[in-house]
Amino acid sequence: MSIMPKPHSALLIVGHGSTENPDSSTPYFDHADEIRSRNLFAEVHCCFWKEEPSMREVLYMIDSDEVYVVPDFISEGYFTQDVIPRELELSGSTTKVRGKTLHYCLPVGVHASMTGLILRRAKEAAPDLNPADTTLIITGHGTGLNQNSTKAIRDQVDLIAASGAGFAAVLDAYMEEQPFIAEWDKMSPSPNVIIVPFFISDGLHSFQDIPVLLGIEAEVGPAASQREVFRHNPHHLRGKTLYYTSAIGTERLLADVILDQISDFDQNYK
Amino acid sequence: MNLTQKLQELIHKGVRRIGELSIRLNDSNESFILTFHTDETTAKEDNYGGLELHVGPDDARDVSTHADDGTYRFVKAQTNLRRGWVMVLRSVDELRMALDQFYPASVGLHVAAMENRLEVENLRDKLNRQTGMYRFARTISDSGAQTLVKDVCGPAHQCARKILWQIDEQTPLEDSEASRYDGLLPGVPAEVTIPLLCREACNHFVAECRRVAKEEKIG
Repeated sequence: MSIMPKPHSALLIVGHGSTENPDSSTPYFDHADEIRSRNLFAEVHCCFWKEEPSMREVLYMIDSDEVYVVPDFISEGYFTQDVIPRELELSGSTTKVRGKTLHYCLPVGVHASMTGLILRRAKEAAPDLNPADTTLIITGHGTGLNQNSTKAIRDQVDLIAASGAGFAAVLDAYMEEQPFIAEWDKMSPSPNVIIVPFFISDGLHSFQDIPVLLGIEAEVGPAASQREVFRHNPHHLRGKTLYYTSAIGTERLLADVILDQISDFDQNYK
Repeated sequence: MNLTQKLQELIHKGVRRIGELSIRLNDSNESFILTFHTDETTAKEDNYGGLELHVGPDDARDVSTHADDGTYRFVKAQTNLRRGWVMVLRSVDELRMALDQFYPASVGLHVAAMENRLEVENLRDKLNRQTGMYRFARTISDSGAQTLVKDVCGPAHQCARKILWQIDEQTPLEDSEASRYDGLLPGVPAEVTIPLLCREACNHFVAECRRVAKEEKIG
């Protein structure tokens, strides 16, 4: 979907950020750079919950009177429904805050166009595999605290299963709730398995925790940027051939999904 | 006037410093030369004195992410910015983009403070909004928080920010080197500096509040 230039508006990308892992915020800045390079907005900024600038500070660095706020999060949940609205003082889809008009868009992960990115990532990881011999697993954090946190992944599983991509199976699996990603081999009916982490960054969970759960590594290793050698696919484990990809959010084209959410906002609310 | 124009005005009035950075106009006044402040003289030599050259603001985030010893600088005002580089910025717009990476929002916060529209957030407001594992930070005592300011903040603890917040509306910070710090490096006059303003406690301070709160609970 294309978007009309908005030369008088700002785009504000909201991320979680990390006080421990410098790789956590890299995708947000990459997405901002990508969109900035297209000259669609007067200005493009990022802000974070755990890094700087904070959500409370960022409005001081924005000139434009109209601001599109896009949560660069993979699901609807506590952060997108509670924390971000509270921090930015949003009371609905459009809110006037300190003289600026803020439009609050849906998070990137719930947009239907994520399907194409997941398929693209799977294809890149294992271009020569026959889908009929391959199980595609989309994995996320999962938490018993919020049903919405897994909904985005389950929606993508349904969309891909119905897309005619031809995988032997398309499954969802989680770190902290059933079905557990640690049992990836038992749930996969095929000899080949591609696992796509449904996270924005190659941070603690996707790059350090999940590889241990998969059996790729014995213990949690250093952050992606601090490793001298990146992992190489495939991994021959537990009688299967496993391809583990980078987090879906590290895909530069996620910038297009941010723009898709803005288009959808305009269609629904303007 | 937008922020870029206000930054231009500040430069025109003689501002040359922000945090640990020096801003210099090149000889033809067409570009800005950004360096670590102690590298300013070296950058005046031929080929910038051999400093690692970056043209444009794109590398500002990479340059400022890690300290020389590899420490992750998630508090951008930490006074451990690495040295040995020079950044050539071809417009005030580029200068602003670079500064927004080195010291996020600092130009905007300074301008807002000058225009008397900067809203400060006291510590209790900040702690009461923490979630997850940091929710416990709100249980820290006032005296614990006062001590923490002295132990964590200010230039003696590698922070270049001038603290604006209090514990709460009724409780100012106790007098200390940290609470008195004006955001200026020694010997650098206020009129040439964009001070780094601390309008809310940083996430490092919040994490420390959680640690102290836990210690207080254990007794």
